[in-house]
Amino acid sequence: MKFLKKRIIAVTAVSTILLSNAVFAEDLVLSIGSRGYGAAVGPALESFEAANPDIKVEWLKVSDVPSESRKLYVTSLMARSATPDVFSVDVIWPGEFAQRRWIAPIGEDFTEEELAQFNPSFMEAATVDGKIYGVPLYVDGTQFFYRSDLLEKYDLPVPKTWEEVIASSRTILDGENNPDLSGFVSMWAKIEGLFMNWLSFTYSNGATFFDENGNVTVNSPEAIEATQTMVDMLYKHKIVPESILNMRPDDARTLFQQGRAVFMMVQDFVYAPLSADDSPVKGKFDFTRNPYFAAHPDAPATAMGGFLLAVNANSEHRDAAVKLVKHMTSYESQLAAAVNESKSPGLMNVYDDASMQDNQVLQKFGKAYAAGVVRPSAGTGSAYPKVSDAMQVAITSALHQSKTVEEALNDAQATIEKLLDQ
Amino acid sequence: MITLNTLERRTQFVGLGFVTPTFLIIALILIYPVVQSIILSVGQSSVDGFEPYQFVGLKHYAALMVDDRFWRSLSVTLIFTAISIPLELILGVGLALLMNETFRGKGLARLAVLFPWALPTALNALIWRWMYNADYGLFNAVGLESGLISEPMNWLGDETLAMASMVIVSVWKTSSFMALIILAGLQSIPRDLYEAGRMDGMSRWQEFREITLPLLKGSIMVALIIRSMDALRTFELPFSLTDGGPDSATETLSLYAYKVIFEFVEFNAGAAIVVVQFAVIFALSLLYILTLRGKD
Repeated sequence: MKFLKKRIIAVTAVSTILLSNAVFAEDLVLSIGSRGYGAAVGPALESFEAANPDIKVEWLKVSDVPSESRKLYVTSLMARSATPDVFSVDVIWPGEFAQRRWIAPIGEDFTEEELAQFNPSFMEAATVDGKIYGVPLYVDGTQFFYRSDLLEKYDLPVPKTWEEVIASSRTILDGENNPDLSGFVSMWAKIEGLFMNWLSFTYSNGATFFDENGNVTVNSPEAIEATQTMVDMLYKHKIVPESILNMRPDDARTLFQQGRAVFMMVQDFVYAPLSADDSPVKGKFDFTRNPYFAAHPDAPATAMGGFLLAVNANSEHRDAAVKLVKHMTSYESQLAAAVNESKSPGLMNVYDDASMQDNQVLQKFGKAYAAGVVRPSAGTGSAYPKVSDAMQVAITSALHQSKTVEEALNDAQATIEKLLDQ
Repeated sequence: MITLNTLERRTQFVGLGFVTPTFLIIALILIYPVVQSIILSVGQSSVDGFEPYQFVGLKHYAALMVDDRFWRSLSVTLIFTAISIPLELILGVGLALLMNETFRGKGLARLAVLFPWALPTALNALIWRWMYNADYGLFNAVGLESGLISEPMNWLGDETLAMASMVIVSVWKTSSFMALIILAGLQSIPRDLYEAGRMDGMSRWQEFREITLPLLKGSIMVALIIRSMDALRTFELPFSLTDGGPDSATETLSLYAYKVIFEFVEFNAGAAIVVVQFAVIFALSLLYILTLRGKD
């Protein structure tokens, strides 16, 4: 009896310790880019831990280059690692990650009202088979930058359409007669950014990636026409330098910053370096939403980028993880990130906040995001990387003129249909 | 006689005892991954781990046979190897001969030759990418300024130029490694052979052909095998310099396998590429050893 008593006490003691451990010391691992959203993470974690003293969060600082952090996630998620519990996912990942059962559905932890406040194109990207697998942390996207001084010099309006972009480029290039000056630069190297670019062009001509029935329509007449315009800007109108075929976002930014391009379409992160004190184009440039084709004034044209927060499907702290996601994407956190770090919020009503009214730049970015195009990652699921690659190959061969636009897009259509039927 | 045999056998036994641990370690770290890759390449594993590994036979190899991109990356790899290795060898022998001479500032020269090799490839590629840039790169600036070229060249944007650019970086970087191995071989050639040659009235060229080159065969073989294996596996260079572009003009087998495994998340298909690559490297090494040893 005595022995048994001792044993009971021991077991109780041990289980109490174990239980208290489970209740009081939840250690979450949050993985998020160190620069992109970095400065906003610290304050958000402080307020989270203050409100939830039983949860400790460790911040795993990963690379801001999506392809690099993706490599990290893919290896640990393939091994079904339980950490990181919460991580930032590029807007093109949820479809694939959800299909591979790497991330958990978290839509039911939010109310309908809360969900309705998030950027709709992002929510579309996070919805797979009717379930929501992530909520937006911050958004970015392509913007159209222009040299306001040059437009003024030639008395030209800020272009709204691609037709105007081509005509104004010609006028300015002819007038300046400077061999180092180009009309339009962007990222047309064979990278994900090229696919974003192509979506901006084709959607702004009324094309779509999928039709209403979910059929792939990358070789629609509208898409062919818009792609032909890209090719023509390069070879016929000669307003785009051939080196664009090797340009990444920062290469285009460098040229524009050196005063060697009139127009540029790249992601909004270039705004900061372009407007820095030592920038040669400081005060000489501005930006607007991406142009559309004259026949489609209502078409969306901004290819969206940005990050969502998602919860690891194998996390051992699901509830705490969801709590953290909710906190980091809350109105207060997103407002703080917007006001202090100029990060475009994923919650639409933050833009209307009184303390945001002074931030003209963010307001303008926000407006363009209302005309957003998301990449077809939700619809293509785990095939997305291959679909994007097939598109990059096709667009590249059209831009290099190794195939006609029609051949290239027909080939892409066939490849993607095959990929999605699998 | 019997005692000698026993002694011989005992020596063999002791020798075997000494090499066995080494063989075991090599087997573990070398053969295990190869076997594992082969197993992966003939099966289908599910990414989320919900379904067990399934044997599918040569399905992934059959898919490779009709995959244009695989053939292109194979030919890119072979072309890259076939062009850069002879260039590196010639330059390497030249550099080694030069470094073997006694002259003032020899130490400094050796250091300068080794410098490119000591820099990490990825860093190297980034620096070169900058110099190759069509709009603000060094080469176009110097070329235009000096009148060597009349308009900017799109170094990394043109398919042929991009391959040439990649070869140039590789030759610049690894010739010194070739030189280092060959220099070691040069220094092991006894001086008196040359003295004897001189007594026989040999010219410098004859000395090189009759004495230096035959005795260097071993070092050249080692250098060739190591460098060819490296070249056939080239990954960081196209990864950082061109990302395989433009189109797929500089996409090597390693880079393609990387994309299939990490971007498309298809490790079985990726393993098939790696196994083919392994077979190519193995065959080439065998070829080197047989041809170069046969002449001895």
